[in-house]
Amino acid sequence: LHLKLVTLHHFFQAGSSPPNHRHLFPALVVSSLFTEKIMNLPLEKPDFFRVSELFSLKELFDARVHLGHKKGCRHRLMVPYLYGCRFDQDIIDLDQTMEHLQLALNFTAHIAYRGGIIVFVSRRRQFGHLVETTAKDCGEYAHTRYWQGGLLTNANIQYGPGVRLPDLIIFLSTLNNVFQQHVGIRDAAKMNIPTVGVADSNCNPSLLTYPVPGNDDTPAAMELYCRLFKMTINRAKDKRRQMELLHGLSAPTTPIPSYPPGQSTF
Amino acid sequence: TAGAALLKFSRGGLVRDLMRSGVIKPQEKPIWYDVYGAFPPKREPLHVKSLIRPCTKKDDTVPEIFYGEDAVRARFFVLYGMGPRPFDLSKSNFVSTCQRFVEKYTEFKSYSELDDATAFEETGKALLTDGIVLRRRGAPSVRDLQPEHFLNSPVLTGTGDELIADRRVESGSRRATPGPSHTP
Repeated sequence: LHLKLVTLHHFFQAGSSPPNHRHLFPALVVSSLFTEKIMNLPLEKPDFFRVSELFSLKELFDARVHLGHKKGCRHRLMVPYLYGCRFDQDIIDLDQTMEHLQLALNFTAHIAYRGGIIVFVSRRRQFGHLVETTAKDCGEYAHTRYWQGGLLTNANIQYGPGVRLPDLIIFLSTLNNVFQQHVGIRDAAKMNIPTVGVADSNCNPSLLTYPVPGNDDTPAAMELYCRLFKMTINRAKDKRRQMELLHGLSAPTTPIPSYPPGQSTF
Repeated sequence: TAGAALLKFSRGGLVRDLMRSGVIKPQEKPIWYDVYGAFPPKREPLHVKSLIRPCTKKDDTVPEIFYGEDAVRARFFVLYGMGPRPFDLSKSNFVSTCQRFVEKYTEFKSYSELDDATAFEETGKALLTDGIVLRRRGAPSVRDLQPEHFLNSPVLTGTGDELIADRRVESGSRRATPGPSHTP
C-alpha cells in the first residue's frame, strides 16, 4: 500500500506568481489598504506571531536538543555553534539555538501567513510518519521518501510547465541515509528557495538560510521541533484569517492551503 | 551553469539585483523577499568551500567541559563502582547515588577543615546513616555477608521513605550539570 503523502498538489496549479494582488478588487484603494494593513504590518513587529512564547531553554534541554554526536563526527562548520565537549560528546550551545530557532520559526510564520507552500523534508525513516502527520496537521506538505534528482531543478519538465515550487523547505534532518548532505538543500539554494534546517554537530549548516543547531536523532527532540513548526504555521494562518476579517475583506484573497493534502502520484 | 553560479551569491543579493535590473517584475516578487529583508538570518547562507589541507583542522577550539565535582565523581566510581542504585534517566530531577555523594562531600568540604581523603570517608559514613550502602568494588558479594546483617539493614527493613527522599531536590543545591555523567 503506497501511502505517499503529497508534496505536489499545488505543483499542478498553473502560474507561478505569488498571490499578492488578485484582481477581485479592482479599486486601487482597497488594494493598497490590503498591502498596508495585511502585508506590511506584520513585518514591522519583531515577533508579530509571538513565536518566542512557544519554547523555552528548559524545554530544549529536557528534549535533549543540546546532545550532539561524538567528537570524531564533528563538522568543522558546526564548531561556532558548540558549547563544548563532554567526554568526547559534542554539546550544542542552547543559547545560540534559542536565537536561531526564534529566527527560523518567525520566518516560517511569515511565509505561512502569506500563503506560501511549505515542504517538510526528512530522510530519517524512524521519523517519517511523524513528519508526515506534522505536515498534515498544519495543512502543508511533506517529503520523506527518495528525492529524485530533478525534483526542484527540473520541475518544469518532470511535472509540466508552470509548476509552482515550494516557498520554504524545512529540513528536520539535513542528512540523507548515507550521511551526506540532502540534495534538496543544494537544489533549494539553486532555485532561490529559502531553507530552514536542524543542523546536528555532524552537519554542514552553510547553505541553510535559517539553520537551527540541534539534535536530530532523539525522538523527544524531533517531536519538539515538529510540534513547534506545526503550532507556528497554524498560528500564522489563523492570524491571516483574523486580519482579513478585521480589515473588512470577507473572503480570503490568497489560497491558504489549509485543506488536507491528497494522495500524490509521484 | 547558471545553477552553479547561484550558489556563489547570497539569495537576497541575486534576486535583489534581478529585480533592480527589471528581469523579475514587481508582481513576480518571491513571497520570501520582503520577509527575508525584514528578518535576515544571522549569517548569509553562502557555500563554504571545503578545505583539502588537513592541517587546518581546529578541533581544539571546542572546550572540554569539566566540573570541579568530576574529581569526586571519578574517585567515587573507582572505589564504589556504579553504586547500589541504577540511574533512572526517565526522570529529569533524578538524583543518583553518586550525585548525593558529591553533594554531601561538597557540604563537608565547605564547613569543615577536613582533607580530601577524610572528607571522602565521612561522606561514605554519612550516606550509610541515610540508608545508602556503598559497597567497594571487589568486595564480598551479598551471599558472603552475615545473614542477620543483611536482613536487618535499613535498605530492606526501611519503609521506602528514604528512597522517596532521594528524589526530592532541594531548590538551592542544583548544580548546572548536564544530567548523569558516563562512567569513565
